[in-house]
Amino acid sequence: MEGINTCATCHATLTDAKLRGPAKDYVTSAHRDERIGCVGCHKGDPRDPTVGAHARALGFIAHPAQSEVAGICGGCHADADFIRHVNARLPVGQYALYSLSLHGRLAAGGDERAPTCATCHGKHDVLPPASPKSPVNRANVHKLCGGCHSDAKRMSPYQIRTDQLSKWEKSVHGLAFKKGNPNAPTCNSCHGAHSATPPDASSVARACGRCHEEELALFEQSPHSKGFRRRGLAECVACHSNHDVAPASSLHVGVTPDAMCTKCHANDEKPMKVADTIAGLLRGARDRSAAARATLARARDAGLVVPGSSFALDQLSTAELKLRAVVHTLDPMRLEAPIASIDRAVAEAEKLVSDVETTRKTERRGYYVALTVAGLLFLSLLLKSLELDRRRRQGTP
Amino acid sequence: MMGTDGQGSSWLGARIGWDAIRATLSAQRVARRNFSHFLGGITLLLFLLEVGSGVLVLLYYRPDVAQAHASLERIVGEVPYGDLIRNVHAWSSDLLVLSLVAHMFTVVVRGSFRSPRELSWWSGQALLVLCIGLAFTGAILPWSQEAYLQARVGSELARYVPFVGNWLHHFLRGGDEVTSSTLQHAFGFHVAALPAAVTALIFLHLFFVQRRAATTPRDDDAPTMPVYPDFLVRQAAAWTATFVVVMTLAIFAQRSVGVAADPRLPSVVGARPPWYFLAFHHVVRVAPRDLLGMDGARFLVAAMCGVGLAVVALPLLDRRGSRLTAYLAWIFLLACALLSAYALT
Repeated sequence: MEGINTCATCHATLTDAKLRGPAKDYVTSAHRDERIGCVGCHKGDPRDPTVGAHARALGFIAHPAQSEVAGICGGCHADADFIRHVNARLPVGQYALYSLSLHGRLAAGGDERAPTCATCHGKHDVLPPASPKSPVNRANVHKLCGGCHSDAKRMSPYQIRTDQLSKWEKSVHGLAFKKGNPNAPTCNSCHGAHSATPPDASSVARACGRCHEEELALFEQSPHSKGFRRRGLAECVACHSNHDVAPASSLHVGVTPDAMCTKCHANDEKPMKVADTIAGLLRGARDRSAAARATLARARDAGLVVPGSSFALDQLSTAELKLRAVVHTLDPMRLEAPIASIDRAVAEAEKLVSDVETTRKTERRGYYVALTVAGLLFLSLLLKSLELDRRRRQGTP
Repeated sequence: MMGTDGQGSSWLGARIGWDAIRATLSAQRVARRNFSHFLGGITLLLFLLEVGSGVLVLLYYRPDVAQAHASLERIVGEVPYGDLIRNVHAWSSDLLVLSLVAHMFTVVVRGSFRSPRELSWWSGQALLVLCIGLAFTGAILPWSQEAYLQARVGSELARYVPFVGNWLHHFLRGGDEVTSSTLQHAFGFHVAALPAAVTALIFLHLFFVQRRAATTPRDDDAPTMPVYPDFLVRQAAAWTATFVVVMTLAIFAQRSVGVAADPRLPSVVGARPPWYFLAFHHVVRVAPRDLLGMDGARFLVAAMCGVGLAVVALPLLDRRGSRLTAYLAWIFLLACALLSAYALT
């Protein structure tokens, strides 16, 4: 059967766009491979150039039912021996994962609305996920998931929220994604792709911890870790929320009414004293960092090039990241080391600016002297020319 | 260095024959005129400042897309007096184009281009073109985002030049696109080919000017003065003043190095060409889609090229150095100034 595909050649000439379209889409799809062909999904006999190719006896399927699609795709994609010959880089576990996912379970239960392979990947125009045109490309995944999950009508039978996409777009993750950060998470970064499942309270920290490894490790050393587990609270989400994760800097640790701690703790509780201490330390470090950044910005605005300023800023940012991570321990003593790192970076940045300003002042003094000498030379030449004029008028040579 | 009483010379004077030189210079007379008379000399000084500061910048500059901008940052930020030298280079470049244009303008207004000074005029025109080439290639070398855009837009506009547009576009880019080749070519032309050609042309221009000195048509009867000491003392005062202006600008008005070029970044909002291309750029930008059956931008660029050719051919078109040419020059200057001001708004 390999090498002969009369389906595509015949369908490409048909006048009915519905029958011609698939043949056109196929030739630019990821499945354009003689080992797959139309017969890979539709069966039939591709060597027969007549309608005999469509004989039901040959297993021909004109329109696979929704419930059949995953099985048809899985027929090849779960076949490790076939896949390693066609594209050795492809994984083979998608069908198994999909079958376990909520999407897969709903589809297997006969839910015609449940997404199956073609819902996300497309039908005849399946493209590799690396293609920017593919709906499952990293750049498009949020639109793909949001296409269904933001649709209130479509989601109403499942009684789930539909604000995930709008919240994510405004979140620190969504904003980083929009800026082009290649590490910013999109839907499948947390929920998985084929295994799409909402992380529950017990697994959410593991979803976050895949990227925020240090924060998770430090959090597990904190008194919150056991307490949250005991109360069945979703670890990270309790403070950071899930889709609308706010920037860490805007999460107020402290005792003020807008502080996150007040969600669970009354102001007269002992933990709030710790929160107040941590808030004070964070505020001090933040103010000193902001002052150092302002000093560097002022120097730049004044036209001063401060060698090493980028490195100093990087050091400052790294120290701030470290501090924000250590906050998860809720141990004020452990904040001292990262705060000391911030103070060192602040001192380094301020010293750099001060050195450049001192050099600039010294240079300026030299320039003033040079300009004065040049100015005096100009004046003397001017006087000389006036004297020459005067002598010419008087007739003196 | 020299004997002042004409009776003898200093050690050096005796060896260079100063008395003879002084006698020649004292015997030669030039018209006694206003400040405009020193513009040629000022332009020469600015070119020498460009060469001097350029050689120093060259010691640390690296003509490579990956390193060019970082090397410039190093020159400005770390090399002792690097910012001063680079500022001198950047400001002298602007002032050089300004003084060249002013020099040319006074020559047109005074009618000094007319016969027998055609060769002075044409060598001067060639110098203007080469110096603008120096400024254009020099603006690419920082390989900042602005420099990258300037290289792209400047070379793109060259396409509109009649007959040679495509060739010029390809030549300016060193290929079809703005790439590392563009930087490499700009560097080669900026530090070697163009300075060598300008130096040779300066000698030629001075030779032509010297051979036909003081034959300016409309002030033949103007009072004159000896070259030495009267003219040279004035010229030295003009040079000193120019030097003071350049140094003051270089010390107090820092020239930005911008951010490193990144072709993936969107265009800089409000990006503008250098001041001497503003009027030209603005005309192309506001050109109607269709003008007399031709592409508007192409038509206007062709018209501007026509004006440029007419300027070059001025000694042939206006053999008397008439006042009409002077008036047209004033109108042209005013139009350019207005277009530039409008482009800035």
